[in-house]
Amino acid sequence: MSKIKNWYMQIYHKLFHLDDRLLLIIVGSIAGMCSGLAAVALRLSLEHVFEWLHPFRQYGWAFVLPAVGAVLSSFYLEKIAREGAGHGVPEVIYSVSRYGGLLRFRSSYSRLIASFLTIGSGGSAGPEAPVVMSGSAIGSNLAKFLGLNDRQRITLVGCGTAGAIAAIFNAPIAGLVFSVEVILGEWKFVNIIPIAIAAVAGTQVSHAIIPEQVIFNHIPFAVSYNDIFPSICLAGVTALISIVFTKTLRQTKKIAQKTSLSFWSKALLGGCTVGLIGIYMPVVLGEGYHFIQSMISGTFSMGVFVIFVAVFAKIFATAITLGWGGSGGIFAPSLLIGSLIGIFFHKFILLIFPNVEIAKEGAYALFGMTGIISGVMQAPLTGIFLIVEITGGYETILPLILVSSISSTMSHYIEPASFYFKELIERGQFLRPGTDERILADLNLGELIETGYDTFSENMVFRDFIEALKSSNQNFFPVIEDDTGVYKGVIQISAIRKYVLDPGVYDMIFLNQIMDTDVLTASLENGLQEVLDMMENNNMDTIPVVEHERFVGMISKNRILDLYRRELIMQTSVY
Amino acid sequence: MELSVLELSKRLGVTPITIERWLRQGNLPVSSKGTHCRFNKKDLENWASKRNISLDFSENKNLSSPEKEHPLLSAAIQDGGVYYDIKGDNVHQVLKNSIDKFTVIPQDFKDDLFDRLARREAALSTGIGKGIAIPHPREQLHYLTSPVICVSFLDHPVDYNALDQKQVFVLFFILCPDLKLHLHLLSALSFCLKDFQFIQFLEQKPAAGLLIKKIEFLQQRNTI
Repeated sequence: MSKIKNWYMQIYHKLFHLDDRLLLIIVGSIAGMCSGLAAVALRLSLEHVFEWLHPFRQYGWAFVLPAVGAVLSSFYLEKIAREGAGHGVPEVIYSVSRYGGLLRFRSSYSRLIASFLTIGSGGSAGPEAPVVMSGSAIGSNLAKFLGLNDRQRITLVGCGTAGAIAAIFNAPIAGLVFSVEVILGEWKFVNIIPIAIAAVAGTQVSHAIIPEQVIFNHIPFAVSYNDIFPSICLAGVTALISIVFTKTLRQTKKIAQKTSLSFWSKALLGGCTVGLIGIYMPVVLGEGYHFIQSMISGTFSMGVFVIFVAVFAKIFATAITLGWGGSGGIFAPSLLIGSLIGIFFHKFILLIFPNVEIAKEGAYALFGMTGIISGVMQAPLTGIFLIVEITGGYETILPLILVSSISSTMSHYIEPASFYFKELIERGQFLRPGTDERILADLNLGELIETGYDTFSENMVFRDFIEALKSSNQNFFPVIEDDTGVYKGVIQISAIRKYVLDPGVYDMIFLNQIMDTDVLTASLENGLQEVLDMMENNNMDTIPVVEHERFVGMISKNRILDLYRRELIMQTSVY
Repeated sequence: MELSVLELSKRLGVTPITIERWLRQGNLPVSSKGTHCRFNKKDLENWASKRNISLDFSENKNLSSPEKEHPLLSAAIQDGGVYYDIKGDNVHQVLKNSIDKFTVIPQDFKDDLFDRLARREAALSTGIGKGIAIPHPREQLHYLTSPVICVSFLDHPVDYNALDQKQVFVLFFILCPDLKLHLHLLSALSFCLKDFQFIQFLEQKPAAGLLIKKIEFLQQRNTI
């Protein structure tokens, strides 16, 4: 028996400990399947509840439906799950960069429930971000369950994310690209394979469960050279709209934060507003996938002007839903806004030049979607691959790349931070792997501090100090109070050099008369960035660290460089 | 405003070679290339703020803070004054009598100064030998605006617990608003007192003008 166990342990050790690639691929595909399941569950339940509520929408009181959903959703998040509202993507990114992808288990279902309540009742938001949060939490908790390290956990978070996006859009490459481009931020060989497999696993799960209910059917489009110039113009429009959209989202949220209402009255107010808009513009309600579907297939019937108004109605409704207590993402609203703009643009061109030969309006809906996705998320690859996979062909790739690159470049020029990163950058939490900020945030003062310094009493006579100096290799001599040990100041060799050579003063002075009391000190709570700024601004090479009035040690630039370099090697080495 | 490579290298604290390498690698926003590279100030500010680099354009920035002007020993004695025939038979009496005569010390602070000096003497005698003592407090005196040295010639020598057991005939009071100045004056004074001729000169209890002249002459030789 023990022989079998021994044998098993050896195999286990060889397969999973020496080389974790196989382990990551296996666990990653499980994570991908689980998050795919979560995505399909949310999609199916949203569809059912939307159908179930459909008959009630003809009544006048229907506008309170989104309000009820929003109140329930914010109540659930605030009181039961006790998690903050919002879409959750910045939290996942921050957790990946700061805590090795550690996420709570309840995150794997709390956002799903909250966004189900919000979107199912008609709130204007997308189910992708909650699904991403859920998928990444599933990956993270699988890693926790198996006792994996931070690097492996991050890969599994990426797997969960990829599985979720791939399952919801039936687009495995888009899942992979989104996960690496937006969530992880680094293209590493070890990450890509498990994530790709997870994305495929997620897609297969959604295929197996809802084979006929894939969100967007594959429709081929004939795109000619005539479409290039219009698509460039469209890219400009989508860039502007993406900025309007991002700004509106942020402004509405700021207004909501300033308003001193309780969370449920905010949700009630916001939900009713969205409901009222929805009475006149049903296109703004919910995640809007079937509207997108009808726009791509060319069966969407609305006037040019109405579409134009609908774009802004959708922007406003999404901002209200997400800012005032609802829960959900901006992915689906971005797609809807993009396709509305695409269709509007197509109709507008035909209105001015009735005889021009350009592609069908469904193709323009796709271009618009790419433009908005690239502009809002500033993730051009995600934009391109998502739409290419949705259309199922490469006929449209040229205009897609044009629109995507122009739109993301233009919006990057006006607003350098994307919607997902802006919050993190403002909070100083945007720490991509291998960057200066990340390394400075990872190194803490405790690691850098040089201890073992002899301290000296402030009542020591200078002659005794000179004696101590002879046998010491310190360059800095901290001076403390006799009875209490409180830090008083520091003596630097460079500052006292001329007195050291003057025996006439040896018996005349005590250390308190010669020490430097106005040297800046750091405390262990300071971040490395702050300490470096202090040193930079005051031309110091070494800074004493004082904690609770006690001298702890010194931090020198030499030591910082040494550790910084090692950290950089650790973080950027290709595994 | 435009900057050259050399100016920019000074602002960033790197050598021009580094600037040239950054240019070659395309890391710097250069406004005109050719034989001479120029940098636009606004572009640079933009570039620096994005990269979290501190870039100071203020013209009067002193890159190295100038050494503080040290007060001269002779000037400190001029400000402090020279006093003669101080009575007293022990350390405390001569200290007390000297302080009473000093005009630079405000009346309210005289007792405080005496306490401080007495405490300093109790910790370690300031008699440095050869009949000279340098009483001084261990703390800075905030009420003084500039450092002063008061010289007290005693009426008759007093036992001061000096290292060489010699009786003290002159006291140099070093009174400073700042401990750093104190150290400087002490060092300068101890340089003068190394001179054997100067001690002999002091034993004659010279007039204030002569004493200051002599010290001016001595401190010219001191490079500290």
